[in-house]
Amino acid sequence: MISILAASSSFDPVAEFTDFISNPYVDLPLGLDINKAVIYIWMAGLLATLLPLYVIRRGLKPRPDGAQTTAEAVYDMTENQIARAGLPEEGMRLWFPYVASLFFFIWMMNLIGFIPLPFGDHKVDLFGLDVPQFQIYAATANLSVTLALTLCTFFIQHIEGVRHNGVIGYLKSWMPSGLPAFGIKTAPLLILIAFIEVISQFVRIVSLSFRLFFNLLAGHLVIAVFLAIAVLLGGGQLVFWPVHLLVGLPMGVAIFALEFTLIAGLQAFIFASLSAIYIGGAIHPDH
Amino acid sequence: MALTDQGLTDAAKALELGLATGLGAIGPGVGVGFIFGKTIEAVGRQPELRGQLQGLMWLGFALTEAIVFYALGMAFVAFSIA
Repeated sequence: MISILAASSSFDPVAEFTDFISNPYVDLPLGLDINKAVIYIWMAGLLATLLPLYVIRRGLKPRPDGAQTTAEAVYDMTENQIARAGLPEEGMRLWFPYVASLFFFIWMMNLIGFIPLPFGDHKVDLFGLDVPQFQIYAATANLSVTLALTLCTFFIQHIEGVRHNGVIGYLKSWMPSGLPAFGIKTAPLLILIAFIEVISQFVRIVSLSFRLFFNLLAGHLVIAVFLAIAVLLGGGQLVFWPVHLLVGLPMGVAIFALEFTLIAGLQAFIFASLSAIYIGGAIHPDH
Repeated sequence: MALTDQGLTDAAKALELGLATGLGAIGPGVGVGFIFGKTIEAVGRQPELRGQLQGLMWLGFALTEAIVFYALGMAFVAFSIA
């Protein structure tokens, strides 16, 4: 939602990320609109599916070239660093594909989010043509997207926990080990601990979805603020252009580089890792 | 220049956004510094564990860093409803 060429003094950071919801490309009932976030998700899904397929289908070679080496390194990382770090052996066959897909999908959504694409809401007159502004916008800078992914992990975790340990065994496994037996004296303490453990299970939804959402939102906002800092200071005019050249542009480019190379991959890694740890912890409570 | 209600609200909102985000960034800043410093220390002692330690380091970094975004999120909520 951030326009690279933003030139407005009334810069409401929250409205920048909510405006597109009210004007979707295709208006469908039940809130199934096709808006900008949906288009970005589709692009990311296509990329995450077709890119690995292309690398594999053109033939794997015993002496790998650049693309194959990269694909193998990423696959190796999803298997050894993400899945094996959290999932027990009996959960690998079923949930390694899920965690790896999570990693690829979120990584692609984050990466596409930092490429300027012509999806802006404002049109620019370019040689007589109405061209949409180029902008950077990430689908993951959207709470509904990250919340949907988090709820997938949440339900998988509890269903797998109940399937492997039974309802009573799974609920018991939430309590930390080494607690005293239930009695008159220990009851208040045990009830308090149980209460905290139940809350912490639900706080996981909030922390997992908010981490990804606000990382991307704040990253885009900081880039936008630095690129538009001269305009913001000058009240809509570019009177402070030396500030723009000396501070805004270098800082904007530096933060863009940091976000594109480190944060985009790291957040996908963290989301997939924590999903694996949560699911693995439910399958094997003492693992 | 007269001090209007709208101007006072705008000033309070601007202060709120800056203060909430800035104060909320102190703790995670210290925490992230601890995580990287301790990892460097640990790698200095046992360089052969570097790979495992780095994985843990990034996990801890992301968990700590997320806390600043709770402050930022609450700041935005207060900013938009005030």
